[in-house]
Amino acid sequence: MKIAKKLLMQLLLTFLSIILISGLPELIMNKNVSAYFEKVKTVFIEMLRFNEMTYLNQGIKRPFLEDIWEPYFYSLTILFGALFIAFCFAQVLTWGTLMLPNFLRRIIKNILTFLESLPDLLVFALVQMGIVLIYKKTGVLVSNVASLGAEDRIYIVPITCLMLLPFVYFYKMMILMTEEEMGKQYVETSLAKGMKRLYVLVFHVTRNTSEGIFHFSKSVLWFMISNLLLVEIIFNIHGITHYMYHDFRPEMLAACLILLVIPFFLIFALFEWTIMRYSKRSEAL
Amino acid sequence: MIKNFKFWTGFFIIFGLIVSSIIFSVFFDSQVRQVQVLYDENMTPIEAAPFEPSFMFPLGTDPLGYDTAGKVLQGAKFTLISVIVIGVLRVIFSFVVAIPLAFYMPEKIRKSLDQLLSSFYFIPLTILAIFILSPILKEQIKIPEMEEYFIYSFAERIGLEIIILTLLVVPLLGSMIGNMMASTLKEDFIEGANVLGASRWRVFKKHVMPHLLPKLIIVWCQQCVQVLIIFTHLGYFKLFFGGTDIDFNPFWGDPPKSLSNEWSGLVGNYYTYIQGNPAIALGPIIMFGIEIYAFQLMAEGFQKHLETRNVKGFKEEKTSEKQEVAVKASGKFQFLQNRGA
Repeated sequence: MKIAKKLLMQLLLTFLSIILISGLPELIMNKNVSAYFEKVKTVFIEMLRFNEMTYLNQGIKRPFLEDIWEPYFYSLTILFGALFIAFCFAQVLTWGTLMLPNFLRRIIKNILTFLESLPDLLVFALVQMGIVLIYKKTGVLVSNVASLGAEDRIYIVPITCLMLLPFVYFYKMMILMTEEEMGKQYVETSLAKGMKRLYVLVFHVTRNTSEGIFHFSKSVLWFMISNLLLVEIIFNIHGITHYMYHDFRPEMLAACLILLVIPFFLIFALFEWTIMRYSKRSEAL
Repeated sequence: MIKNFKFWTGFFIIFGLIVSSIIFSVFFDSQVRQVQVLYDENMTPIEAAPFEPSFMFPLGTDPLGYDTAGKVLQGAKFTLISVIVIGVLRVIFSFVVAIPLAFYMPEKIRKSLDQLLSSFYFIPLTILAIFILSPILKEQIKIPEMEEYFIYSFAERIGLEIIILTLLVVPLLGSMIGNMMASTLKEDFIEGANVLGASRWRVFKKHVMPHLLPKLIIVWCQQCVQVLIIFTHLGYFKLFFGGTDIDFNPFWGDPPKSLSNEWSGLVGNYYTYIQGNPAIALGPIIMFGIEIYAFQLMAEGFQKHLETRNVKGFKEEKTSEKQEVAVKASGKFQFLQNRGA
């Protein structure tokens, strides 16, 4: 119960900060504090009457809620797909890497540092160019490099673009954490008992690193939502950020951000709750 | 003294570029070379701009024949110095915020405050930065007079951009540094100092600071990386550092221009060439990548330095290696783990 109250508080505070921030351009444009509060008030009222919100589509006012759901779920699919794939790949490869000898691991870590520092824009550009190059050389179109209009859906390219860097981040973080965990006493004990290294790695070490990875994944997600905007604009995808960017009003920004926040918030709350329960139980033992 | 190859490599890449950029502007007045047509010895034109990267033009040229490498060099000082300044400001601000958080708050309040601040994890920085900075950085137009103007002056624009990019991360970074401080305060030696009657100020100055300062340098490097990434994003959305010069001519508008050739401007201006002339578009982005790598190297090298600074030389390690060799040579026994299961 206490946790639920805390989470509700956190959610409300998130909404509040989004609304407060969305009024900021008004403050900057007019250099006037009262105008800012006026704007925040209108945004707030607009949020309360969420189902009556309208947006401009090629000069025509349309109800927001009617049109938003499809692009919204499309964006969520891309985002979650990318996060999930990146996480799974990284986990499996970490297990593989930890079985390798030390010098190979060091080389892999150095390569990862290099990959980590690729700017995301460069990754998107390279993917874009790579597809065109493959098409020119072989005549095989791996996927469309841009979607046309609202009906055309592309999945492979945006998910690949979005997953590459988070995958590298996860992979490096997992290797570092797992290596640290491998030095602990209980690992030594279980290895001495004759357990297989892979077994210890998968069933004991991974469980203990999962909490750290969970906290780390928050900042990865933070980075990914920013990237989503970029990917959707570069590949002309009709997702939620399309509404955010093309109808550049504070109300719109607040509404879209709140919509984006809710699912992630719920998922993280669920995970946090599981971890809390889990760690409490182990303490009791 | 820091004895670490990685650290110094990163350091020299960054500061070498800044210094050469300043030298370029002081002694050569930042004259970017422009070559539109190349002739061979018989004065027959052989090639015209844009040129591909070659020995003559390391990063190629843009369609007007301006040398991209020269532009990059000219802009480096603006971008890199502002990145470093923003990074430093971020760390200092968050540090100031973190002090009361760690020293004067009871554990319980700090934890719950931490929870509340983590709501900022769901508000993506790039989107906010684009949203807040566009009225500042984009040139506006008064409709009846057709007069182009900026809301703020050049210095104000730069100042505001730096302040906004700083303040947006203070909640997250502040709580992170606060946690670092609080975990230092829980160490045994702090308790010892308290027992001996040290004041809060003394604990802070003599015990917490020496512990925290090196960690803050690593945090600074990471923040610089983040700022560089945001600069590429802002560049892509045509929000250039110091303002975007937009041509409102309805008939033949020039593309948005950066006022100083700083790098996010180059990224924004050249990204449209990505399919036709990839070399032009990729040059500035790759430069960003190199700088990010340099900052990463600095952070990693410094981390290594912190881990090994108290180890006197590596002699001990070497003798143990020798011993091992000797043991292997004698062949009297072998390790169980090597025998195979």
